[in-house]
Amino acid sequence: MAFWFYRGVRRGVATTRYPPTIDSWTRGLPSPPAFHSARLTAALVDGLAHACPAGALAREEHELVVDLGHCTGCGECVDLGRGAVVPSGEFLLATSDRAALIKRVPIRGDSETSDGG
Amino acid sequence: MAVDGLDLAVGGLSAELRRRALRLFGRSLHIRTVDTGSCAVCESEIRLLASPHYDLHRLGFFFTPAPRHADLLMVTGPAVRAADNLLLKAYEATPDPKAVIAVGACALGGVYPEDSLVHGAVDRVVPVDVFVPGCPPSPVALLQGLLVVVGRLEERVRTLSLDLDAGRAG
Amino acid sequence: MTHAIGALALAAAAGWLAAAGVAGVGAVRRPGLRASALLSGAGGGAAAACGVLLAVHGAGTTVRLGAGPVGGASFEIAPLAAPFILLLGLVAAAIALYSPRYHEPGQGTAVYLAVYNLALLASLAVLVAGNVVAFLVAWESMALLCYLLILRHHKREGVAQGAFLFVALSEIGFLMIVLAFAILATQTGTLDLATIAARSSGVHAGWRSAAYVLALCGFACKAGLVPFHVWLPAAHPVAPADGSAFLSGLVIKLGVYGIALFGFTLVPGGPAWWGLLTMGLGAISAVLGILYALMERDLKRFLAYSSIENIGIIVTALGSGMTFTAYGQRAIGAFLLIVALYHSINHGTYKTLLFLEAGVIEHATGTRDLDRLGGLIRRLPRTAVICLIGTVAIAALPPLNGFVSEWMLFQGLFQGFRISSHLVGILIVIAGALIALTGGLAINAFARAYGIPFLGMPRSGPAAHAGESRQPVAGPALLAGACVFLGLGAPLVLTALDRVARSATGLDIRSVLLVPKLTVIPAHTDFSGFSPTYLALFLLAVTAVPILIFLAGRPRARSRRPPVWDGGILSFKPRMQYTATTHANPVRVTFEPLYRPSVHVERASDDPAGRSGPVHYRFHVTPIFDRYLYRPVIRLVRALADLARPIQSGDVNLYLFYVFVVVLIAYAVYTL
Repeated sequence: MAFWFYRGVRRGVATTRYPPTIDSWTRGLPSPPAFHSARLTAALVDGLAHACPAGALAREEHELVVDLGHCTGCGECVDLGRGAVVPSGEFLLATSDRAALIKRVPIRGDSETSDGG
Repeated sequence: MAVDGLDLAVGGLSAELRRRALRLFGRSLHIRTVDTGSCAVCESEIRLLASPHYDLHRLGFFFTPAPRHADLLMVTGPAVRAADNLLLKAYEATPDPKAVIAVGACALGGVYPEDSLVHGAVDRVVPVDVFVPGCPPSPVALLQGLLVVVGRLEERVRTLSLDLDAGRAG
Repeated sequence: MTHAIGALALAAAAGWLAAAGVAGVGAVRRPGLRASALLSGAGGGAAAACGVLLAVHGAGTTVRLGAGPVGGASFEIAPLAAPFILLLGLVAAAIALYSPRYHEPGQGTAVYLAVYNLALLASLAVLVAGNVVAFLVAWESMALLCYLLILRHHKREGVAQGAFLFVALSEIGFLMIVLAFAILATQTGTLDLATIAARSSGVHAGWRSAAYVLALCGFACKAGLVPFHVWLPAAHPVAPADGSAFLSGLVIKLGVYGIALFGFTLVPGGPAWWGLLTMGLGAISAVLGILYALMERDLKRFLAYSSIENIGIIVTALGSGMTFTAYGQRAIGAFLLIVALYHSINHGTYKTLLFLEAGVIEHATGTRDLDRLGGLIRRLPRTAVICLIGTVAIAALPPLNGFVSEWMLFQGLFQGFRISSHLVGILIVIAGALIALTGGLAINAFARAYGIPFLGMPRSGPAAHAGESRQPVAGPALLAGACVFLGLGAPLVLTALDRVARSATGLDIRSVLLVPKLTVIPAHTDFSGFSPTYLALFLLAVTAVPILIFLAGRPRARSRRPPVWDGGILSFKPRMQYTATTHANPVRVTFEPLYRPSVHVERASDDPAGRSGPVHYRFHVTPIFDRYLYRPVIRLVRALADLARPIQSGDVNLYLFYVFVVVLIAYAVYTL
């Protein structure tokens, strides 16, 4: 009895662990976009960057820069992307490093030897 | 996107922060929310954390209204300049050691750019320890953020890639 | 020893006479002011020493002066006066320390101080008067000198009105006192007080009752019991601070002395209804006094009403003592007499302190309005500490003297079950309940009276700039020390008071009052007991333990001091604080049928949120005694005077006719 009391006082109040699996209904939650880099063209990326209301997308040279911190999951880019942009389904995005939220995707759809499609 | 089983290992970058926070807060963390001008949808999600479905109390987290009793400040909103006084006073009134978690796209700099009325991002006003993106972040995301703060969960976004065609030769 | 007592009394009298003379001549300049204060203080010290010796020794002396047409004046220093002489000395000494820094030297001050010292002399004469003539002359001189005291700033608003009310009720009371003494003197055939006391048991019961009731009402006018109290809140605030302190600290106790003189010395052993009447007046005064006090914004009017409350408590103790004695419980009766005397000293001490400090506050900030003060604990730190001691004492919080005397009063009242008559027992319980209600309201009232001016933020500019540099401190500090001594040293004080009570009631209750371990026991060992000295030591020890733990276990790391958490608002404004009016709001709402307030609200527009202009709220308590008791009487007197006016028509012929008729009647009576 004293052992459990001591352990609880030392370790704090928690009674259970965090659930090991996520519920199935979370699959439909709003999430940032994921990109098929082979189908991205510079023109398309410029259009997406212009359309994003939160300013999460930008084009730097041959890279699409996505700031996950800015993304609101509205889905405008998915609608405009014509298959090149899909919801990623990722929503567990917490981090202590702000720079880790900035992701870069190479724009590969411009080259002549693209796989197409 | 399959979601792997989440483990409770301590690790990742900023291990010093994690270790320190873990040692200091253990499994009892008191949270004080500060709204610096949000649309209150983030607050609705935060409120759901106390509901039986998510139940943050079983993890050892509690909400407190007084910053004097808080270990963690949960800040929402784009840091409107008129709320400077509020945020800074709450930050000052919270005793050390403390952590700040910025919640929502507004607090991370999206939606509202910096201008004469807003700072735009909370980390322009107070130092932020953990960022939780989303608009709004679902309670599951908030729970993950809280567990990341106390070092009970590993961060996932560092190794995340948004390039679905990566690995295929271009 | 008796020679020493007499010599000390004479020394006090001489000191005050000299002080009056020096003040009248020399107080136009500061050295003269200081010299007169020194003499006054020396007189005070002598009087205090006389009081202490008299109480300790337990027997007095007699001095006779001349034999004029009404028997001359004789002075007898009797033990019953000892507590009051001690109080007089203490008050005089404290005010002597206070007045050089309070008054500005000048013509007005010179006259004022001369009058004040003569008033001290007259008060001493009242306390040592040995026969009826001396008593009445001294009483009336004291009253008239106090009237002149109140008129110091006679050009200010409210002063003339207050002084007039004072002298009007004083004269009404004096009339009743004269009648009471006249009844006793004619029925016992002597003017000497000691002889009256010896012979009074032979007087017919109806005359005795008439004398006692007249004396009670007459001295109640001076003491400020309801319904004779209307002059107190009008007169005490308008006098200068040390004058108010003298009036509230001492002069109203002379009324108490008069009641005690009649009830325990001159016509002792009266029927129970005397005691019940006295007790009833006292209990009602106590409750009404504190209820009206809570509605006051003016600090000195508040203190004046609080004096009414405490006089009510003292007179309740006297009355219940008389009731217990009438039912044969003489030990408890003597105990309650001791309580009354002890509470008189206590109240004199802390009320004088509070009035003196009210004067300091008024000089430092220029206002007495509680709603304009605030934050004075930072600007006037020494005043704040001394005032805190006085406030803790008057709110009857342990371990100071107010707590001890109120505890003793309750212990005496709770023993009402020992009385054989159930009705009287229930009445005593009701009185106890009223005094308990008073105690609770007093704590509320004094938390407000200390918290609003001293704590928080200043509510007005003058309060924010108050300075303590030239304010008097020594006088109030002496009284604060006296409060602490009277509380912690209560066993010593009560031993002395027991000797006083023994001379008045013939009963030595020291054996059942005190056991040799510094404990106070209310007259019966099987009831209860406590020790104020040990309680104080215990409180010190209990507060020392957490302090020591803190000092020993203090964290070594540096700590930072952020400002007080205020919810994050931009700036905290003084107007966001409680005011004195709002602090008392729960009491106002609860007792609304008593206050019958008239509320007047003025808005700039119909907007309920008041956005287009300020909202004015005026609240006025209906003065029910003024309206329903005094005005009808005044109207009746005026009506009678109107009826009698035709006699004085101004017609010379009619006056000659009056003379003729009187001569005729005189001739007829002479010849027949």
